[in-house]
Amino acid sequence: MKVIEKKLVFLVCFFMFVIEGFAEKCELYDEIPAQGSISEKQGHEYWAKIYEVFSHPRCTNCHVGADNIPMWSGPSYGVTRPHGMNVSAPVIGAHGTRGGSDSFECSSCHTTTNNTIAHGAPGVYNEDMDGEKVSWVLPPVDFEWFGKTSKEVCEQVKDSKRNGGKENAKEIADHLCHDKFIAWSWKPGAGRESAPYSLKENIADVLAWGAAGMPCPEY
Amino acid sequence: MGNLAAITRRSFLIGSVAITGGMLIGCQSKGFSLLQRKSKDKTHLTPYIRIDQTGITIITPRADMGQGAYSVQAALVAEELDVELDDDSIQVDHGPPKPEYFNGKVLSELLPFASTDNSKWAVRLRNFTEGFSERIGLFMTGGSSTVADAHYKLRLTGAVARQLLIMAAAERSKVHKNKLKTENGHVLLPDGTKYSYVELAPEAADIKLSEEIKIDDLKLKSNCRVLGKPMQRVDMVDKCTGKQKYGIDINKDGMLYAAVRTNPRLGGKIISYDAKFAESIVGKDKVIPISGGVGVIADNTWQAFELVDSIDIKWEDASYPETSYQMWEEFENSFTPWRKKNRLKNEGNVKTALEQGDVVEANYRVPYLAHAPLEPMNATVLLEDGRLDIWVGTQIPLFVKSVAAKLTGLSEDNIHVYVEVMGGSFGRRLEDDFVCQAIELAKARPGDLIKMTWSREEDMTHDFPRTMQLAKARGVVNNGKVEAMDLKIAALSTTASQFSRTTISLPGLRMPISIPEAIIANALRKDVALVSGAWDQPFSIPNYRVTGYKVPSMVPVSSWRSVGASGNGFFHDCFLDELIHAAGADPLEERIRLCSHSVSSKVLEKVGEMSNWGSALPAGSGRGVAYTLSFGVPVAEVVEVTNTAKGIKIDKAYVVADVGKVLDPVNIENQMMGGVIWGLGHAMNAELTYKDGKAEQTNFHAYECMRMYQTPEIEICALENADEIRGIGEPTVPPAAPALANAIFAATGQRIRELPLNKHIKFI
Amino acid sequence: MADYVEINVNGVRHRLDIRHKRTPLLWILRDELKLTGTKYGCGIAQCGACTVHINGLSRRSCVTEVGELTEDDKVITIEAADSTIAKAVKESWVQHQVAQCGYCQSGQIMSATALLSKNKNPTDDDIDRVMSGNLCRCGTYPLIRKAIKTAAKSLTEANNG
Repeated sequence: MKVIEKKLVFLVCFFMFVIEGFAEKCELYDEIPAQGSISEKQGHEYWAKIYEVFSHPRCTNCHVGADNIPMWSGPSYGVTRPHGMNVSAPVIGAHGTRGGSDSFECSSCHTTTNNTIAHGAPGVYNEDMDGEKVSWVLPPVDFEWFGKTSKEVCEQVKDSKRNGGKENAKEIADHLCHDKFIAWSWKPGAGRESAPYSLKENIADVLAWGAAGMPCPEY
Repeated sequence: MGNLAAITRRSFLIGSVAITGGMLIGCQSKGFSLLQRKSKDKTHLTPYIRIDQTGITIITPRADMGQGAYSVQAALVAEELDVELDDDSIQVDHGPPKPEYFNGKVLSELLPFASTDNSKWAVRLRNFTEGFSERIGLFMTGGSSTVADAHYKLRLTGAVARQLLIMAAAERSKVHKNKLKTENGHVLLPDGTKYSYVELAPEAADIKLSEEIKIDDLKLKSNCRVLGKPMQRVDMVDKCTGKQKYGIDINKDGMLYAAVRTNPRLGGKIISYDAKFAESIVGKDKVIPISGGVGVIADNTWQAFELVDSIDIKWEDASYPETSYQMWEEFENSFTPWRKKNRLKNEGNVKTALEQGDVVEANYRVPYLAHAPLEPMNATVLLEDGRLDIWVGTQIPLFVKSVAAKLTGLSEDNIHVYVEVMGGSFGRRLEDDFVCQAIELAKARPGDLIKMTWSREEDMTHDFPRTMQLAKARGVVNNGKVEAMDLKIAALSTTASQFSRTTISLPGLRMPISIPEAIIANALRKDVALVSGAWDQPFSIPNYRVTGYKVPSMVPVSSWRSVGASGNGFFHDCFLDELIHAAGADPLEERIRLCSHSVSSKVLEKVGEMSNWGSALPAGSGRGVAYTLSFGVPVAEVVEVTNTAKGIKIDKAYVVADVGKVLDPVNIENQMMGGVIWGLGHAMNAELTYKDGKAEQTNFHAYECMRMYQTPEIEICALENADEIRGIGEPTVPPAAPALANAIFAATGQRIRELPLNKHIKFI
Repeated sequence: MADYVEINVNGVRHRLDIRHKRTPLLWILRDELKLTGTKYGCGIAQCGACTVHINGLSRRSCVTEVGELTEDDKVITIEAADSTIAKAVKESWVQHQVAQCGYCQSGQIMSATALLSKNKNPTDDDIDRVMSGNLCRCGTYPLIRKAIKTAAKSLTEANNG
């Protein structure tokens, strides 16, 4: 390969990276419904679907409260129960996430690949294994969803102080689009029930809910 | 303690070396033959001691599954032989499985005599079984019998060898043998001259003992250097540095790795399979049909797991009821005259007592349980030029040999079994199913050295579990005392199930050939294991009856640490606790009052003293006591629990046992502690349930037992009041579950009659 | 893209065929590198018998595909765990005669070493939090607890003295 071509390739790559980095374009939605184009009543229906996802074990099992103990659920556990092995994640990491305890981190077992054996410790699935490494963590304690009502989760989700500084539905949708943990909820690995609908549909629902003015239910 | 480097110097060879031919001089001592063999460079003074130029090897034929069997056997020999186990020149070796290493005590647990029964017939029959075991060469590790069987046998063996060496030294030095002493592997002359055992051995082998060595000739307790004192286990350094090799760790040049998948409906056949993918990777000839399934031979274990998993298999249906629910129905229907198997306890008049008083009634049940040792089943095999070599962690190497002969058509002389150190067993390795699978692979691939390893999923779903057990209990109290207790227990027959899979003929299976065997056979037919841990308890309740019912066979079952007593102890003691509470008596005092066995009374008194029984506990806490006699060992346990907002927390456990004689105070503590944790852990949260004919629990996520954070502080005491020495691998298991359930009752008022307890109450 | 996977185990670099990319580290250690001190117990990070250190942190090798690792990731197994802390832990284990069957102990020792390298003086609660991922079927937990405390004490004394 000639030197000039190499440079060209480099430039193209660099340019693509910059665009990708700046725009963080989400492939999972094309357009955002106009504000007010969706009625409040419909907005409630969209939220109900969103809550169905957010209250699903694939989400709530990690969105736990101040005891920092994630939950387990699945066909052979019967009712949802606290994660075995006495694990807890009191150590706070980047952006308030909780990564385990001192020398027994979530990532001691939850690696960057998803276990293929039923009930194997899941990991953040990263298909090529050459992308960025993400360590398994619990979300910040402010994002507590486990056992919360639809109203409580709804109010938390739209409160930028308790949702990681997201000001509107688009920012929430972009977060859903880019976070590898969230994508995992629909590719949770062997024997695990995936979150309902699809990530794409969930994002569309969030955007529609936003267009309806983010209405929250009474309970 | 020295530094690690110093400890590691003591390396112990644990492998197997075949005894080669040579001279053979037999001499009899207390019913077992002591062989002397001499070959070119090896001398065997008794079958347990081999001496060659590199030093002395002590053969320890009872296998080590973690219970410290190698160490304690070696210590028994070392004590009398006067050698030091931490000497570099002393080796400990499992040795080859041969009939002369028979276990004379393991069968006595199956006799219909309580271990406290020393009547003429009980003693006579125990002797019969010992002689019988010798005749058939019953080579087996199990039933907490190692110490009981080996204690005198191995000490005598050491004493005989020592005597031969002294006589050799006397001959050489012309000094009278009474003037010679022994110390640390040497014979000492009065003038200070030393002859090492190694140099004396060839001469000693030519000597015939002039007089028999008897038990009375053994060292007195006060003269023992090793026995009764804390020992350093011979395998400890290797096990604490990752160096210990288990069966699963075998690696040899050119070895291939195999995995199998067989019908999870136990005993079921395979109908058809499609292994196109696996065949495309490893080739058609490395995908091998075996009984009930398929095996794949690959480059590493992981690949073998993945490929065997990729095979699409059609299985035959289960031959037994498909669900646990249906099985329980069969159990419920088993309390009929035609399924009644034994009534070994029948004192007073239970029928009248029940008619006359207010009857306390309760049903109890316990589930199937898996052995699940942490090292999954595995075996390494090589079939080549009419010879089969098997490396395997097993409790029954001679049975393995005999089944291998049957499967290959080779004579047993051409089959070599090397017993490997085991990463736990708990009774699982009393079965040879997995070895048979490896042999089938070897037959399909002669010349290939193959290590077959089960995945944990294969292991969990192909266990021969502990049987489910169901009890119907009734009792009467009167005037603050327990007046009547009637226990009916239905279970699958572990004895029948297990013996049906063995290839060696045991009494009860085939036509007995002698009168003692006929008597033993008759005794085995009583199926004591159905009620052991319940019928044989030394309580003098005025009206007292225990009846065993045999449920028709369904899931094949096997011995699980403490066998029948594991569930029966729970039934017997918890129901006794219920009656004592109904009578308004104190649980500990009433047990002591009822106890008719003074050694046991002392065990109960001691546990009361240790736990400060009767002292106040904080609100929400409770204390429970339980007692079970099993394998001849009375054990009492007190458990303290607190009912916290997050569930029951087990705070403390106190354990007292009487084993007659403590050989190693360190190891006995570990064994007792381990038994309690085993008992408590399974009682808390473990069960094996069946659906569609398959075990539903496939790995430890659904079969947790106890983990560090749930483990209570455990205080332990071993007493030595009993006449006979006993093993302690199992006896602390049975009283753990009832002590916990009784404590939960004391703390919460909730009487739980079903295991695992977490079906009814939450644990932290 | 490279047609091999390179890993660094006990200070030695190993180049593995690319077909091993998705093989768990455990089986590379045991079957390819013949380092059998690291044990297989469950294959799904439930028992901890396969615990190794990667860059000083506990890691279950049975769920760590070698393709996840780079040659900069330093894998240490029980065979080469010879730091001051690891040695103190092993010695303490021998002193307390912790092992029964011993099969889980490699993993226990690796977890305990990781604990003590982060926490010089662990409380019972700290020990419970870090060690409850390691299963022991024989029931050696009370001795493990004692041995960790003894190791912590001997390390503190060595540092002060």
